[in-house]
Amino acid sequence: MQQGKGVERRTVLKAAGASLAVTGLGATATACGGGSGSGDGTVTIRYAWWGAEDRAQRINKTIDLFEKKHPKIKVKTDFQPYTDFWKKFNTQASGGNPPDVFQNAVGFLRKYDAKNVLLDLHEQVKAGNLRMEGFRAGLEKFGEIDGKLLGVPVGSNSMALVIDKPVYARAGITPEMGWTWDDFDEAMARVRDRTGRAGDSGMYGVMYLYDLYLRQNGKAFFTEGGLGFTEADLTRWWTKAEKGVRSGLFADPKKVAQIKPKSALSAELAGSEFTWDNFTVRYTSEGKSEYGLAPIPTTDGKRTGQYLGSLMLSASRRTRHPVEVAQFIDFMVHDPAVATIMGYDRGVPATTAQYEAYRPTDPVNKAIAAYEETLVTADVLEPITPHPNGADICEAAFLRIGEELGLGKRSVSDAVEQFFNESKTALSS
Amino acid sequence: MGTAVTHAPATEARAKDPEPRHGPDTPPRPAGPQRRGRRENLAGYLFMSPWIAGFLLLTAGPMAASLYFAFTDYNLFDAPRWIGLDNFSEMFGDPRWRHSVRVTLWYVVVGTPIKLLVALGVALLLAQKRRGQAFYRAAFYAPSLIGASVSVAIVWKAIFSDDAIVDRTQKVFGIDAGGWTGDPDLIIYSLVALTVWQFGAPMVIFLAGLKQVPRELYEAADVDGAGKLRQFWNITLPMISPVLFFNVLLETIHSFQIFSSAYIVGGGAGGSACGPADGSMVYTCYLYVQGFENSRMGLASAMAWMLLVAVALVTAVLFWSQKRWVHYEEGGR
Repeated sequence: MQQGKGVERRTVLKAAGASLAVTGLGATATACGGGSGSGDGTVTIRYAWWGAEDRAQRINKTIDLFEKKHPKIKVKTDFQPYTDFWKKFNTQASGGNPPDVFQNAVGFLRKYDAKNVLLDLHEQVKAGNLRMEGFRAGLEKFGEIDGKLLGVPVGSNSMALVIDKPVYARAGITPEMGWTWDDFDEAMARVRDRTGRAGDSGMYGVMYLYDLYLRQNGKAFFTEGGLGFTEADLTRWWTKAEKGVRSGLFADPKKVAQIKPKSALSAELAGSEFTWDNFTVRYTSEGKSEYGLAPIPTTDGKRTGQYLGSLMLSASRRTRHPVEVAQFIDFMVHDPAVATIMGYDRGVPATTAQYEAYRPTDPVNKAIAAYEETLVTADVLEPITPHPNGADICEAAFLRIGEELGLGKRSVSDAVEQFFNESKTALSS
Repeated sequence: MGTAVTHAPATEARAKDPEPRHGPDTPPRPAGPQRRGRRENLAGYLFMSPWIAGFLLLTAGPMAASLYFAFTDYNLFDAPRWIGLDNFSEMFGDPRWRHSVRVTLWYVVVGTPIKLLVALGVALLLAQKRRGQAFYRAAFYAPSLIGASVSVAIVWKAIFSDDAIVDRTQKVFGIDAGGWTGDPDLIIYSLVALTVWQFGAPMVIFLAGLKQVPRELYEAADVDGAGKLRQFWNITLPMISPVLFFNVLLETIHSFQIFSSAYIVGGGAGGSACGPADGSMVYTCYLYVQGFENSRMGLASAMAWMLLVAVALVTAVLFWSQKRWVHYEEGGR
């Protein structure tokens, strides 16, 4: 700054002008975020989902189709990997700026309903903008929570035991519907002894599998308002897990952590893994072996406790275009052309129209369809477990603490206590 | 070695403060008649107004809000509910919080001294006159310019993950430890390595300090027959102790705030957001998890203020300790 010389009026004005300009720029930048409608009646809706590049390419193609059929609706897209998606969504939703329509899962319905984020789509169904008929296997009820239609299923999945087929063949195991946990334990030992590989990748942290086990015993992971099992139940489950890790029935958790993001199954650390049935698609592209689907072991020789899960499309309550959003969802779940583009990317299509439109020709996807069909014919499917507000945090804690137990960072009693503490906090908030 | 006195170039003196100071400029001196003074003040404030607005909107405002949130239960959606000190008592009773404190302290206590030792060592080497000096200085300084970036953290993860270069190299020596980033005990070492690699910034400051040690002292010591080690211990170290103090202070505070590298290197490893079995769950990572994954902004704000208090205390202790070991030249500098 010049000292001594008088500061001219002009300088002051210039300074004022400069700072006003800066503030002004800021104001314009924020203004751009707002409007989504324009003069000619075209509306823009924002659609967000989680997934990878491959899913994004498929989805973009389906959006092109949609925009062609609905020239007055433009769709703006956004996607991230799963955990990043929810962090971003949470931030946007809390700021009152969530996407108009987005991919959703059952664990988040109550959570975001409690926060007034989700739109009850019943009204749009009544107005004829969204058809809830033609869904397979009772899936139309899947997104209905507390009398509100909060999500529309796009495809069904089921928990399964994904196996490395050649490994199971070498061990001489052919799992059959109705096999028991004792059979399973024996199979794990045989895989370990005959193939030099762990039997399973480490199932103790998979919330959805423990849920099945609990359901076989007349309980469930969640009730409407909390946890559906006791400390003693979990102590038994994790004690068995700890033994399994120590005796090499389950893959070395440290190795499993180190090879991530690859899975223990495709990295050939384990002969099988409990996960969703559509994961065979991923493992086939990731690993060298052939992967198949085996039934969930049972407690009584009959009940597997299984249910169909599904990804959904939900709308946000703050959307200014509920009609267009409903039309969009309707198109995405019913239009046959969408199914031929999406394939089984988000599970087996939820509506019969789409199910008929896409019949897989490759063995992996065929096996997924066949697997879900056997579940229907074997009549093992039951209604889904409720997911209270906070279920997502409990699920993450279960996975993390199970992993810590496997890694030897926690004793069973310590792990159980920690899980119940964290769940209590999550479910009460 | 020449005996010529090297003068400290002005550039190095300026490089002494790599972090731009955010303090307000001293207001223009009132000069001449009062009216002109007031006008100058006005101009000054007008020039500063973008900065002042930014400070109030982006720093002071949010800080005040977070201080308030620290005493509330706030999930971002519902209005904050005043709960007094509950967040703080929950924090102290939470084993995962205590774990994050341990990880952070370990990182600070191990990482900072190693980084400073390397910085001082390299500075001592580079202080000698030799060809290509400028190049070496630039080369060693470069990592500290880019080291904090997200892309470097991603590269770091790639270097230390399973079957990558570090894993393969250690296998050559018969060590089968696997990838560090997937190992709950080793992941923190990869973060220490990352911070040590960025020794350039403290190194430049050390260099500036070394250049200002008067040559005569060494010449006198030579005459007295003191060896190199003795000279370092009795001349160099006391003479650069103010610079050392500055570096210790800056690096310690900096280390406490580690976030992005821990979050990125430790991310995607399984159930935890920061390393397998919370292996790289440093304090700010856990703060982030509570705030953004668990939507507990009140608790996260309380954690942030706790960190501020802790860092302030450590800083106070360092300032108190300097009376015992920092040597300021007569008349001060």
